[in-house]
Amino acid sequence: MNITFLFDALRLALKALTERRLRAILTIIGIAIGPIALVTMSSVVRGYSNYVTSQLEALGQNLIVVQSTGNYRLSEDDVDALKKIPGVKRVEPYYMIKATIKIGAENEDIIAYAVPIDLIFEAMSGLKILEGSIPSQTEIIKVVIGYDIAFDENGNQVYYVGDTITLTIYKVEEGGKVSIKRVNVLVAGILDKFGGAFFLSPDRTVFLSPDAGKKLLGLKDWSGILVLASNSKLVLPIEQEIREMYHGNVDVISFQGIAKVINSITGAMDFITFSTSLAAFAVAIAGVAATMITSVIERIREIGVMKAVGFTNNQVLFMILAESLVMSIIGGGIGITLGVIGAYILASKGFTIKAGTTTVVISAPPAITPELILNTIGIVVLVGIIGGIFPAYRAAKIPPAVALRYE
Amino acid sequence: MSTVSEEVIRLENVVKIYRVGEVVTYGLRGVSFSVRRGELISIMGPSGSGKSTLLNMIGLLDRPTKGKIYLDSIDVSKLSDRQLAYIRNRKIGFVFQQFNLINRLTVLENIELPLIARGIPRHQRIPLAVKALLSVGGDKSWLRKRPNQLSGGQQQRVAIARAIVGSPEIILADEPTGNLDRASSKIVMETFLKLNEQGQTIIIVTHDPEVANCTRKIYLLRDGKIAGIVDPDPSKCIINTV
Repeated sequence: MNITFLFDALRLALKALTERRLRAILTIIGIAIGPIALVTMSSVVRGYSNYVTSQLEALGQNLIVVQSTGNYRLSEDDVDALKKIPGVKRVEPYYMIKATIKIGAENEDIIAYAVPIDLIFEAMSGLKILEGSIPSQTEIIKVVIGYDIAFDENGNQVYYVGDTITLTIYKVEEGGKVSIKRVNVLVAGILDKFGGAFFLSPDRTVFLSPDAGKKLLGLKDWSGILVLASNSKLVLPIEQEIREMYHGNVDVISFQGIAKVINSITGAMDFITFSTSLAAFAVAIAGVAATMITSVIERIREIGVMKAVGFTNNQVLFMILAESLVMSIIGGGIGITLGVIGAYILASKGFTIKAGTTTVVISAPPAITPELILNTIGIVVLVGIIGGIFPAYRAAKIPPAVALRYE
Repeated sequence: MSTVSEEVIRLENVVKIYRVGEVVTYGLRGVSFSVRRGELISIMGPSGSGKSTLLNMIGLLDRPTKGKIYLDSIDVSKLSDRQLAYIRNRKIGFVFQQFNLINRLTVLENIELPLIARGIPRHQRIPLAVKALLSVGGDKSWLRKRPNQLSGGQQQRVAIARAIVGSPEIILADEPTGNLDRASSKIVMETFLKLNEQGQTIIIVTHDPEVANCTRKIYLLRDGKIAGIVDPDPSKCIINTV
């Protein structure tokens, strides 16, 4: 079989398909479903995964958070112990509490974070001061506020450097009594827009000095300890060592570790998506096989003529296979195109995670990679080959004298 | 009439047995004969006498159960499917009673088929196909038409063009006028006679004496055996009768 024959076979395959247009179209639709499902779902899942991973990376590749669980109270001893772990660069306790603040006309939930602000800047490389400056640790009433606190949703600035803002803190006391505490603080700096961070959103955070947590907010116990590793590669070993030190008395969270978990979850989702799509591809194979078997039966006499004029068994096999391949490539092309469109539509809706009162909306473009497209094309070609090979083999093996007698 | 020279085909005691379950049917019971280059012969016989079986053997569409078939002095009885396809493509042209043209292809593409199998590029195929069609009395205006847009006689001439386009050694025609009216049959036989005058070896299987009488030798087949060889009566050839 030379190149000329291969081109002729493809041309004749197209002619054969146009003759049985409706059947070919229905088969092509059947083939297209697999690529639609695979491209849409995989690219959206991978897009979300990439988004979450990049967000977590922006939150601090070197940062580990240690939070007490149950009755364990973190103390200076813990800070000293953590400092001794090899590879630890810095250890700082922090206070964190949910508060409300008036932004424009609305009272909105924000997070008040009492922590050495320079540590946050050291851990989160993308963070920048838009206005003002970082106050010193001794200036306990001075704070740095996130962009979405300083500016309302229409982009109008509502707080300026030097303004006083009131944090309202609701606390559940012993016995179930709810106490309300109002704290006035002075804006020393405003952060530039950081973007939709996933777990910690600097845009909706008020950063106070560590002392302010105790003295202003009235918090007794540390919410946790931030541990900064000297190198991102040391984060996971340090995390592991802390876990071993505390035997479950503390939660140890690193954004890198979360990224790893999320990657494994999205990897599993990707596998499930792929497996589901395979079911669609299996149905497509059956569809192609049914179409091609019917086509071969209808054309047995024609196959006999072809053999009589000198087509070899392999040439007949290729001609029939070319038909199923042409259908699968057209179906694949349509499926991939619709899959890409579907992925953008699906991704534009965003993915909402609700945890208690917190709602996080992940909005990320689908990850349509050359690898995904090439894999899909590969599977689609396989659908054509597997679906067409048996009918093609059958056609190739029909003795010419029998085929010519066929009515 | 052309010059008769060396043997193109020789059959030696060819037997064909069909087995369906335990039922054994004899298609051919030991046929021996030869055809020389440039001959125009016919094979006649009643239904079931083995005419088409014999043609299938000569055309390498089927294998004999016993015996040998020589084509251009090559024993083709033991060749592989691929080798047989190669020989069919280069040395044999078929004409069928039902024309066996592919209706979704144009007349041009139908004629080109043996050349497509040979892997000849399109720009070389087209002039060969046009030449073949014109040599059988066809018209260029047919080239872009579908076979079913032509009359039976025209379709059979397209089929003959397809048979000769690859310059085969031999043309095998199985009841070529069986599906045609008298006028069309005359045209088809005139075409065969003209090709034979140009040196083409032709074997025609027919049950029509008016067709057989146009050939140079008539082999009578009965019960899978050659029952006799008869000289035709040209005055009773369809071309010469009213």
